[in-house]
Amino acid sequence: MIDPALYDQARDRIAANGFTPEIQTKISLLLCAAKNGNALFHSGVQWVPNFGVVQQFILSQYSREIEAVTLLGRTTHWSQNPMLATEGARIIAPLTLAWGQVMAPPGPMFNPQAAYRGITLGHAQLARIRLLPVIPEKIDPQDPYVVALQRIEQENGRMLQTQIRLLKNIGTELPLEEREALVEQDQLLVDGVFSEFLAWLAAA
Amino acid sequence: MPTIQYGHHQVNYELSGEAGRPVITFLNGLTQNANLWKTYAAHFVPRGYRVLAYDMLGQGRSSKPVIDIKLSMHADLLDHLLTELGIEKTHLASISFGGIVGLDFAIRYGKRLHSLTAMSTFAELTPQLDLLGAVMLQGLAEVGLPYLQSMLYPMNMSSDWIAANRERIPAMKRAGYIGNDAYAMQNLMESFVEFQPLTPALKKITVPTLVMNGEFDFFTPRECHETIRREIANSRLLIIQRAYHAFTLEMPEVTMRQIEIFLQQVESDTWQGDQSVWIAADDPTAETQWLPLAGDWNRAVQIAPPNGPSKAKRTTAAAPRRKSAPRKATS
Repeated sequence: MIDPALYDQARDRIAANGFTPEIQTKISLLLCAAKNGNALFHSGVQWVPNFGVVQQFILSQYSREIEAVTLLGRTTHWSQNPMLATEGARIIAPLTLAWGQVMAPPGPMFNPQAAYRGITLGHAQLARIRLLPVIPEKIDPQDPYVVALQRIEQENGRMLQTQIRLLKNIGTELPLEEREALVEQDQLLVDGVFSEFLAWLAAA
Repeated sequence: MPTIQYGHHQVNYELSGEAGRPVITFLNGLTQNANLWKTYAAHFVPRGYRVLAYDMLGQGRSSKPVIDIKLSMHADLLDHLLTELGIEKTHLASISFGGIVGLDFAIRYGKRLHSLTAMSTFAELTPQLDLLGAVMLQGLAEVGLPYLQSMLYPMNMSSDWIAANRERIPAMKRAGYIGNDAYAMQNLMESFVEFQPLTPALKKITVPTLVMNGEFDFFTPRECHETIRREIANSRLLIIQRAYHAFTLEMPEVTMRQIEIFLQQVESDTWQGDQSVWIAADDPTAETQWLPLAGDWNRAVQIAPPNGPSKAKRTTAAAPRRKSAPRKATS
């Protein structure tokens, strides 16, 4: 579980200064990196043979992740400070690396373990990267960036259903305990990145 | 919070009070956690008890399985936790989702119990509960956790409480949103797919059992508690006046007082499990706490005998009578 104090500090920072270009840029860098990783994975597995109805969910999630990235790209008031991108890349690096491992040749389409990892990593991202608690109560609810964050988070919950159903029903020889351990492992990874991100958001 | 391992799961718990004293274990409902029993620990520890509360799997800071969690696993976990902590027997007080776990534990691990307090709970899914559960699950999956949270406040709390706390609710929802994970809630709710009614096994519960139900609880209404009362011979049903589903949160003083009286009866061997029905005094300082009940406790209205005594103000007007049939038109 992510320390609630980290959410409070990030929210207080935003309440004090508003959604400045720096704040928006930090948030969008994280979300875009996470969503690009998940979209890349979905683009890699959407033509797995015999997927049946699951293929539609995979294609749908791929499209919605791209939509979210596009929405963020359009609504973010981007900062011109290149150091933000550098620091953001450093914080997000564990996620970038994990998605790189999933996509490494021969790729998830031909590597069941990588495919399973892609699902657990996607689950962890959609479930644990939650930004609604950093939105201050007194912020303008019509602010386009706030609206975008809310829509993306609500959509994350819906998309998560694909990962939940796959994790529960996917045919694998891995024992249940091992599968749960893999899920938990990626949750810890995402929690680590997101905790550091929240601290960065709260920093001056 | 200290932790124990249960398989590959981590379970966070809080145990307060001196070793050697009788233990009360509290189990919470969905979207809640062990912290909510701190008030209860503060009440019972100075009164000579130890209080054990823990985050059930899928909640709070304990592990949150994604793939599978059988309903029966919760009772197995409690058995394991008690063993790990060196607690041979405990009093168990549980509410709502925790209440089902409490009943299951009492059925399968009854030897580890001194007593059972089952609050705002059920032993089987009535058709109403079945549909309500499906709607809650649908709302959680299709709209999200904030929707479920918004739905639960009016289902759990009274209008008075909501009016008094309206400004605090957004902050409480935010804390709940941070502390809970939608997928873990969903997993707990989906465990009901394989839920088999506990009703046929309730007769196996022989420990003193206090069943507590809010007067106005429309989430788990009287019929749910009546089933439990009827099937457990060593039980009593206690109705909490003007209470809704989450009376442990809304009326902690009243609830703690009732549990305290029950435990005193159990420990002094004065408990009479006779399946009788009582009403809890709404003043926890009142001398008489369990008030006798008149009438049918399964009804929301009480029909007075035609000329019998009634506290209700009687109208002086004559009772409406059926009009005589219209006369046939004569030609």
